[in-house]
Amino acid sequence: MTSDTTGAPPRAMLPTWSDVGHLAQRQGILIAFILFIIAFSFTSERFASWDNASTVFRQVSIIGTMALGVTVVVIGGNLDLSVGSMLSFATVLVVDLHDKIGPAPAMAITLVATLAIGAVNGILVGFLRLNSLIVTLGMLSAIQGVTLIYSGGQNVDITDQEATWFAFFGRDFLLGVAVPTWIFLGLAVVFQIVLTRTAYGRRVFAVGGNPMAATFSGIRRSYVVFSTYLVSAFTTFCAALILGSRVMGSQNNVGQGYELMVLAGVILGGTSLLGGSGSMVKTVIGVLILGFIQNGLLLMGYQYYAQWLVTWVVIILAVWLDVASKRGRLFTTTT
Amino acid sequence: MRAMVRPDPTGWPLRPNDADPRSARHNDKNGVKRMKIGTHFAALGAVALVAAPAAAADTITIGITQNNVGVDSYQTTYERAFIEAADADPDVETVVLDAGGDVARQIGQIQDLIQQKVDAIIIWPTNGQAVVPAVRQADRAGIPVVITNSQIAEAGFDFIKSFSGPNNIVQGEYSAQMMCDALGGKGQIVQISGQPGYTTAIERQKGFEDELAKSCPGVTIMETQPGDWNREKSQRVMENFLTKYDNIDGVYSGDDNMGVGALNAAKASGRADGMVFIGATNFAVGYEAMGRGEYWGSVYQSPVEDAKNALATAKAIVEGEEVPFLNYFDTPKITKDNMSEFEKPVF
Repeated sequence: MTSDTTGAPPRAMLPTWSDVGHLAQRQGILIAFILFIIAFSFTSERFASWDNASTVFRQVSIIGTMALGVTVVVIGGNLDLSVGSMLSFATVLVVDLHDKIGPAPAMAITLVATLAIGAVNGILVGFLRLNSLIVTLGMLSAIQGVTLIYSGGQNVDITDQEATWFAFFGRDFLLGVAVPTWIFLGLAVVFQIVLTRTAYGRRVFAVGGNPMAATFSGIRRSYVVFSTYLVSAFTTFCAALILGSRVMGSQNNVGQGYELMVLAGVILGGTSLLGGSGSMVKTVIGVLILGFIQNGLLLMGYQYYAQWLVTWVVIILAVWLDVASKRGRLFTTTT
Repeated sequence: MRAMVRPDPTGWPLRPNDADPRSARHNDKNGVKRMKIGTHFAALGAVALVAAPAAAADTITIGITQNNVGVDSYQTTYERAFIEAADADPDVETVVLDAGGDVARQIGQIQDLIQQKVDAIIIWPTNGQAVVPAVRQADRAGIPVVITNSQIAEAGFDFIKSFSGPNNIVQGEYSAQMMCDALGGKGQIVQISGQPGYTTAIERQKGFEDELAKSCPGVTIMETQPGDWNREKSQRVMENFLTKYDNIDGVYSGDDNMGVGALNAAKASGRADGMVFIGATNFAVGYEAMGRGEYWGSVYQSPVEDAKNALATAKAIVEGEEVPFLNYFDTPKITKDNMSEFEKPVF
């Protein structure tokens, strides 16, 4: 790779190998993603179809929407593990209130309640400077408890599934694309613009990258961290709308384990757990890789237990390809 | 708490006095006194508890420690039904405990019940393996143990008198028979099973597969994937099945909650018509879908029957009656034709 930088190649119409090299260096995970899609396409003819692709996009939209908010938290240098329980809570609340007071008020109340949970996380981590892992891990069980108390252990369901316009969020299509996919990708675009083109976005990166420097630059660090938790609460609320509308009901532990899927997607995409770097595009790709792996393995008819193993192998391969493309060789040759 | 205990005319929970160390000491003394009185009363209460069965020779005391009340509607209803059944029976006193899903707490509760010298202990195991030593202690203390709902590990079989609960293998067989009837003995189906490693899931799957292979060879299972008792997960699994297979005649799900998820997916793709959905553990949503003709059949498992059966089993054992080691309660088939005979499930 070092030879590429020695002389400036003449500009040509076609991209040169060095251009490809530069692209691979920056977007290793994207290359890995494309390789997987090609590999899976060879093994199952149903995999590479528009129908299947749109199914996977719809399936990952819940995890994906949550992952967008968590990416903002992670870029800000913290973690949010409470999103799984928060999803259960928001879904149970919105579905339960739907039949009692109607869809719009139910959504409004759920939004406020979910943001309130995010605000508590934000105050504890942002203003009290408590360890985010511990705060949100505690919140994970606390909110699960609140959900159980609220629901009394009962499943909640929407009675009139055909008539309600609440079905829009999880079941409808716009221009041939499912609404959940629009929500997921739409939010991704908006968040990407906010992160890269606004002062707020730069502050989040600054706080996550070097909190001390950020503070000395006049950034109010506590407020920025606080706001990132509101963002992740908001995306979890959006995911709850999709989930509640798609299933038309909710179990009180429906989001159990989702926090790990979300975090896996964020990290796989390449957002650094140390904070200060990452992007929405990466997270979208990370989540899609996970979604396509699950879908692809199922279409190939792998036994369930083998799927766990193969998922791990694929993740390792993806991360390896990412790292290898950054350093320009597959193996390190350090002595 | 202290401020709350003391009679406080002002009604303020925190008065300036409370910050005074002397006042706090004073409080402490009071607190200790109260505690002494408290234990005294508790001791009296314990005496009364022990004395009560002696006074009325006919009453028996049955202790129960449940798995995790409040975590789902089934367990919530079970507890309510158990207490109602016990209240209705003048011969039975009960001590109703809940382990909150915590193995350690359940073991502690079993030991408490042994100390209280109850006449029988009913256990809904939080973990079939971990409770075995505590069950052994109860057996050594001469207290008969009945396991309810979920079986304990085989190592503990020598220490229990009976298991009261649903027969999940038979439930799987019932579902297979309904699937066979609905398809006229011929077709290709998919299976969505419960959480991997969970006894109920394993037994239902085994019952279903064995019965289908034995009495209905014309119906083949193309593929089985777990839905983890989660409706959204099952919906995803079913969407993938629908992509993979052009022709699916029927879907068997390990419970109705997952079955309705599969139904949602099939309806969304416009392929639900003519597809046969069979479940187990009839849920309210499954019951409603059955009423609309979208869901073919399920197995009706009532938490009320489950609770009553456990209490009756324990009582019979204390009274010296012969009880089968595996004392199952009836979980009948439910389809559109006979659903009017059943109440809509509460969960």
